[in-house]
Amino acid sequence: MVQFSPEVIDTIIRAAALLGAGFAMIAGIGPGVGQGYAAGKAVESVARDPEARGNIITTMLLGQAVAESTGIYSLVIAIVLIFTI
Amino acid sequence: MKDINDPVKVQKEILKKVYLFSLLPIISSLLAGEFKVLFGFIFGLVIATLLLRLKYNNIVRALSMQEESAEKFIRNRYFLEYALYFFVLFTAARNDNLNFLAATVGLFMIKFVVLLWTVADLVKDSFQNKLDQYK
Repeated sequence: MVQFSPEVIDTIIRAAALLGAGFAMIAGIGPGVGQGYAAGKAVESVARDPEARGNIITTMLLGQAVAESTGIYSLVIAIVLIFTI
Repeated sequence: MKDINDPVKVQKEILKKVYLFSLLPIISSLLAGEFKVLFGFIFGLVIATLLLRLKYNNIVRALSMQEESAEKFIRNRYFLEYALYFFVLFTAARNDNLNFLAATVGLFMIKFVVLLWTVADLVKDSFQNKLDQYK
């Protein structure tokens, strides 16, 4: 059986943590695509019904503020993986 | 939500509620003498407030564009905001005077309040409907 020294095991753990941080950052892409799609649809809605502009802006603002939470969760996980391990 | 047609009023209402909710962690960390937690929380809260304002400006600007360019614009702005979030969290993680977890909670305060508010409205509406049924 192959025996690893503690330094090698530490390096493997560090590499795995950094790799995990990189994978966690993939979750940041989704909200961006979703928010862009929502913005496109909002423009379409305002063109169809200009009087509902205020309502659309409010709904979009609240929706986008909450939608980006998942992206920030992944950022927090990535930073924790980078700095604590 | 009182006046959904006026986004500026809604924003002010949200921020008022956020600051009201924030008093609890601010006062408790002050009483406990945890100044790192206090500074981290306020740091996160201030950045979250500014980013909400930035998001509102971006949305207003996007609505005057064509559909495809608005889509691209909001997507690009999201990634810029994401980079800002990264710098804020990076600073909180590296700086010894700021608590990382408190800064994260401060950043999420607006989202928590919006979610809580929506759930409270839903519960209130369903309760009101049941009351009306009995009447």
